[in-house]
Amino acid sequence: MAQSITTITPFCVRRRRYSAVLLVLLLLFVAANYLLSITLHRTAMVSGWTLFLLVVVLTAYNLRKRITFLPLGRSSTWLQVHIFVGLLSIAVFGMHIGWRIPNGVLEVALAGVFLTVALSGIVGLGISRVFPRRLSERGEEVFYARIPRVLHRIRTAVEQEVLACLREDDSTAVPEFYSKHLRPFFERHHHFWNHLIKSRRSELKLLRRMDAYTRYLNSHEKQAIEAIKDYVKVKSDLDFHFAHQKILKTWLFVHVPLSYSLVVMAIFHIVLVYAFAGAGS
Amino acid sequence: MTTESDVRRKTQSDIAFDEGLDEAAIDELVAASAFETLDPEYRQSDRFRATLKAHARIVDVQPADIVVREGDWGNSAFFILSGRIAVEIEPPESGMPQEMLGRRRDRPKSLLQALTQLFTNHRFPEFRGRFSFAGSKSAVQRRGAGNATRIYLQDLDGVLKKYAHAFLEPGQFFGEIAALGRTRRTATLFAVEHGRLIEIRWQGLRDIMRRDEGIQALIDKRFRERSLRAFLEASPMFSHLREGHDDALSELANGVELKVFGEYGRAQSFRKMADEAMAGDFSGEHLIASQGDYPNGIVMIRCGLARVSHKFHHGERTASYLGPGQDFGFNEIMAGHGSNKPVSLQHSLRALGYLMAVVVPTALVEKYILNHPDSPWHHKVQETEATGRSNAVQRVDQDLVEFLVGNRFVNGTATMLIDMDRCTRCDDCVRACAASHDNNPRFLRNGPINNGVMVANACMHCRDPICMIECPTGAISRKLDDGEVAINDESCIGCGTCSNNCPYDAIRMVEIRDSGGLFLRDRSVASRAPITKATKCDLCVEQKGGPACQRACPHDAMIRLDMSDVEQLVQWHNQ
Repeated sequence: MAQSITTITPFCVRRRRYSAVLLVLLLLFVAANYLLSITLHRTAMVSGWTLFLLVVVLTAYNLRKRITFLPLGRSSTWLQVHIFVGLLSIAVFGMHIGWRIPNGVLEVALAGVFLTVALSGIVGLGISRVFPRRLSERGEEVFYARIPRVLHRIRTAVEQEVLACLREDDSTAVPEFYSKHLRPFFERHHHFWNHLIKSRRSELKLLRRMDAYTRYLNSHEKQAIEAIKDYVKVKSDLDFHFAHQKILKTWLFVHVPLSYSLVVMAIFHIVLVYAFAGAGS
Repeated sequence: MTTESDVRRKTQSDIAFDEGLDEAAIDELVAASAFETLDPEYRQSDRFRATLKAHARIVDVQPADIVVREGDWGNSAFFILSGRIAVEIEPPESGMPQEMLGRRRDRPKSLLQALTQLFTNHRFPEFRGRFSFAGSKSAVQRRGAGNATRIYLQDLDGVLKKYAHAFLEPGQFFGEIAALGRTRRTATLFAVEHGRLIEIRWQGLRDIMRRDEGIQALIDKRFRERSLRAFLEASPMFSHLREGHDDALSELANGVELKVFGEYGRAQSFRKMADEAMAGDFSGEHLIASQGDYPNGIVMIRCGLARVSHKFHHGERTASYLGPGQDFGFNEIMAGHGSNKPVSLQHSLRALGYLMAVVVPTALVEKYILNHPDSPWHHKVQETEATGRSNAVQRVDQDLVEFLVGNRFVNGTATMLIDMDRCTRCDDCVRACAASHDNNPRFLRNGPINNGVMVANACMHCRDPICMIECPTGAISRKLDDGEVAINDESCIGCGTCSNNCPYDAIRMVEIRDSGGLFLRDRSVASRAPITKATKCDLCVEQKGGPACQRACPHDAMIRLDMSDVEQLVQWHNQ
């Protein structure tokens, strides 16, 4: 056990190497910024252009992902560079705006978009490290696109159990319980946010309710409820996968379009700076 | 009492090589000069006729027909009844171009061609151009139908003038070494005139050899001379005998035992055995050597895969796996060498399906390895490759080892493994694959999972590719340097043999379309069924930079792994 804790994996080595490079670059930038400031240069111009360059490099990763058939390096290497350049850009951004809220509508909007992109990137990084492990720990692996089909299959199987009770026992106990408590559960995905915080409270509540209801059932109906309980667990696992995979798929719909907006807004900002703030003089 | 559910169990004759082989044709086969040396009683027996009916067929060839192609996996041998067959003897570098033999041209696209894919990939899936159907202009010419389809050389006279060749005359055998060893054909043979051949599957050849010492001796002699010597020479164990030790190599080639285990292997038996093995039942795997026995010699694997295991409580625990070129039993012989107390085998060895092994007797091991002055093992005790391999495998989770070996995923030279603890299910790999193949993904991000590792349904480019056996046109082939197994779309007739034979579901039959998205239909059949083609991963041979899937994974979750490289597996698994 101790060995596994102290093992340094190739990923650790890579992370440390990139962190060291990031630290060196950051120190160099801070030193250059300081030197420029004591020699009365406009540090905002240097930090601004540096930041724009970093944003362009960051956005280029999305283009790399589209051009898959050229030997442009591994996507994983690009992602590592993307992460560390992203972290560097946050520091450069802070220095560029002087660690205060900018004034002016465009500047506030630009800062807001930058921070949203940065934040969504950090969140994306976090979930892409945590969620895959969660998905492989619980339930069966299922394609996101096939989830509706699997859901339909589970619901059909449950309805077969319910109809069998109606047919064979001439009793409405299970069908009544199904329409009141189970049908909404099996019809669509539930407890999205609960699943994201790994809470099983709702599932357990439903299972307890089913247990409590068995006192009103005959032996065949009890068997049917037990079978349905298994389906509840399977459906709950499916909801878990749905919630996690949905987040994994949709966070990029925030991050990527806003990144392109950021580039456009940054270009507009540069034009304005050169046109009206005397940057060119 | 017979009821409607009573059926007849299939026998050998129900699964005939050529279903159209009638009694008259069998009479012709029985009378063939190929079998003149057979025991007359056996030659006239029903048993012999049944063997021929099940495993032989008559092949009529026309001038320029390619009979066997260098590099293809063979499962049958040929006997020439009439007509001459040419063997290309040109060195590989100046030999016939691969396109001429119906193989795919694997030239990487230029930068411009690669870039234009961004705009030229087709909107509809599985679009095919003018080379995909009969009558279309194609670099590959073929004739016949179904399993009798043959590809032929377009300019026979030119080929005979340009490429060095020798002739085989009626009465001669060829192809038996590749058939019995389940190895690749070593030369290309083509007909130069109208002729007739007997083609015998390896099972039939084996049955005949068992009953005829003459044929057995002849094939055994040719095998030892041509194939076994080269195999021993190539082995690192005998590398010190390569220069100037011809006599030693000859003695070795004549002194070793050749052993075949397991069935030749079809997908069905393969899957059944894999299921049993996963349940801890190794009874379907032939026991080659048992733990605790004293070693009679080194088992060197020539083709196939083997499991190395040892007793663990009431079961067997897999310690390692072996493939072609690897050996078993050397450590024990080395440990016991020079002492009065022999060392028993520390592990058992089992064949995972079909396996051909060469057993080098202990006396020859001692003479040419342990006591030979040029040998690296002379008077030394050092870790052998087998020990190092076994130690390396132990660094992978035991469950995963059992899973990979039990399901024979260790057969792959480019097995697609996905670490599900890192995979974000983004499908960048699938998109990259599709973008590199005219918008058609050539694998499914789906497959069995064990310990968070998925073995995806992607062609593993097996070391022992049973998909290539029985392809009637040789459309599926492997690069001569043991590279990718690829399908030539032009010569694929869509018979589905490769797809059915692949035990890993890695080959998919697809219905092809024209540029308007309409299915191309076969007008030669009444149903006008859509034309199908076999498709699979080709490791992006036409793309710069290799497999796009692996390069596209942002999270280092995917790898294409040569499973014989245990160190790489361990490194990836423990990263």
